[in-house]
Amino acid sequence: MRRFLASLRDGVGFDILLVGAAMVFLLAMAGLPLIYNVLMSFQQVDMFTLGSLIRPWAGFQNYIDVVRAPEFWMVTRNTIIFVFFSMAGQFVIGFALALFFAQNFPGASTIRGLFLVSWVMPGLVVGAIWSWILAGDFGVLNTILKSLGIIQSNVFWKSDPSFSIWAVVIANIWLGLAFNMLLLSVGLAAIPRDLYEAAELDGANAFQRFLTITLPMMRSTIGAVLSLGLIGTLQQFDLFPAITEGGPANTSTVAQYWSWQMSFQLYDFAKGATISVMMLVLVLIASIIYVRSTRHEVRG
Amino acid sequence: MTAQIDLQNIDKHYGAFHALKGVSLSIEKGSFVALVGPSGCGKSTLLRSIAGLETITSGEMSIAGKAMNGVPPRHRDIAMVFQSYALYPHMTVEENLTYSLRLHGVGKAEAKAKAAEVAATTGLSALLSRYPRQLSGGQRQRVAMGRAIIRNPKAFLFDEPLSNLDAALRVQMRKEIRALHDRLGATSVYVTHDQIEAMTMADWVVVMRDGVIEQQGRPLDLYDRPVNRFVAGFIGSPAMNFVEATVSEDGGGVVLAGGERIPLGTPVEPNRKVLVGMRPENLRVAQGPASFHFEVGNVESTGSATYLTSTDGALQLVQTERLGFSVGDRVGLDIDPALIHLFDPQTGARI
Repeated sequence: MRRFLASLRDGVGFDILLVGAAMVFLLAMAGLPLIYNVLMSFQQVDMFTLGSLIRPWAGFQNYIDVVRAPEFWMVTRNTIIFVFFSMAGQFVIGFALALFFAQNFPGASTIRGLFLVSWVMPGLVVGAIWSWILAGDFGVLNTILKSLGIIQSNVFWKSDPSFSIWAVVIANIWLGLAFNMLLLSVGLAAIPRDLYEAAELDGANAFQRFLTITLPMMRSTIGAVLSLGLIGTLQQFDLFPAITEGGPANTSTVAQYWSWQMSFQLYDFAKGATISVMMLVLVLIASIIYVRSTRHEVRG
Repeated sequence: MTAQIDLQNIDKHYGAFHALKGVSLSIEKGSFVALVGPSGCGKSTLLRSIAGLETITSGEMSIAGKAMNGVPPRHRDIAMVFQSYALYPHMTVEENLTYSLRLHGVGKAEAKAKAAEVAATTGLSALLSRYPRQLSGGQRQRVAMGRAIIRNPKAFLFDEPLSNLDAALRVQMRKEIRALHDRLGATSVYVTHDQIEAMTMADWVVVMRDGVIEQQGRPLDLYDRPVNRFVAGFIGSPAMNFVEATVSEDGGGVVLAGGERIPLGTPVEPNRKVLVGMRPENLRVAQGPASFHFEVGNVESTGSATYLTSTDGALQLVQTERLGFSVGDRVGLDIDPALIHLFDPQTGARI
């Protein structure tokens, strides 16, 4: 017993204790719910069996039902549009801003810091503000576009079926921009200045320096930003209830919002769980690709 | 000889800080020039200005006869070896070497052949497929040099390239860089804070301080006839001794504070205050009557030489023989009058 206590104080026991605490937390808070969620997607769940763990087995029936649901392809298309264009917008504009603020000009770091504002704002608040900006009849965006002569009549961003998903994409790009820019800024700052100087003396112009030095040196940062971006967009929920509520007619419903509707509005927990498991598989595949692509990472 | 790099009245300001003050320097084609000075003297700024990495505030700069003011680094046709080597970590040795060739559209086969050729001269042939992180300090250094050589540039610039290496490797690389310079017939500008490197490698040494060239010349000329106290103290190791003294009434000697007199080779203006500079290796332990004495405060022996330091620390002496002195001994000293340097105590200028 004394030896055990001693090893806790200054031996291997202490290491195991620390790792163990983290493992227990992870298992209880993330592992078990995850397994329960997967289990539920293979069961028949209704209001009467909600409290029990063992329920009638459903096999893949929930999955078949979800795929056969009339809104399935609409939701899939929306999710792809939402994820792809949100990430592309956040990444491209974020990278451009990161490069811009990496230049040495007075106030660069202060102004960059101000971009944090979008990051610290609650998603619901951001959604409410964008909801006003995008409003069809009194929105600022329409006013600007009209005064610039780009549109002739008001665009009803939130209630026009062909624009509703884009309304959320625009808001989400704004919301995730700061995060992308900050991570990419850190990556840019980590590239030694003398590499650029050496490349400049070797004859590289600004564009060649970006292609041959910046991009390859940013590889792991870009990988991290993109995979975190994927997780972030698949998690993005607040903007939907705040801007479109998935409407009109599901034209802006994405997988995560659909899953929530299934579980907590229609109380069809099995289908809600099924949709979330399908999303999980997608994220898992993306993560594996990311991990594999950075395995042979070159670091100086 | 024609000037490969010509600098006229170069000024460089960083805000309020005046980094280079009217520097004029002409570097001959094929010469090896060392810029040496303490940190913050402007030597690196001058080098980076030649490379175009810093823009000069005013002055004229030309390389191979062409004005270079405002020309971006990539159009100057100059190669630089950085203190950190600045190897591209995501490229293999071969890709590092051929980077500039690839940028200039040289064909793959030709670039590969050139890389092999350069690798052979720098001893990198077996390492072409490695990444910089897999190389030792000395090997990285060679890659940095190979990357410079492969382009056959108008001039090589070295920014303290040896300061990250250990002492033994530094001595070896010193010789290799010089040998490479001779073989290529290149023009090299070499920045260092180590006067030994400057003295041993360069044909022409430029001593800088506070953004000003204090003296330039052949290494031994700087050693034999430093123009002022700063250069005298900077060139030579261990550093020159400086003792305050007054010139005797007849002008044929200097009288130390203790009343002892050291004879001079050529008479100077009598009765004036001077700073007497004597190199530690020029002082001798007097066999006969000594001209002055000092009390031993410290004895260091390396086997090949003995270093004696006086009690007050003001005087140091190096002899290439073993001396049996111990702390507290009073030693009589002597010096060849021709090897005494006199400086003005106020201005520091050579008398």
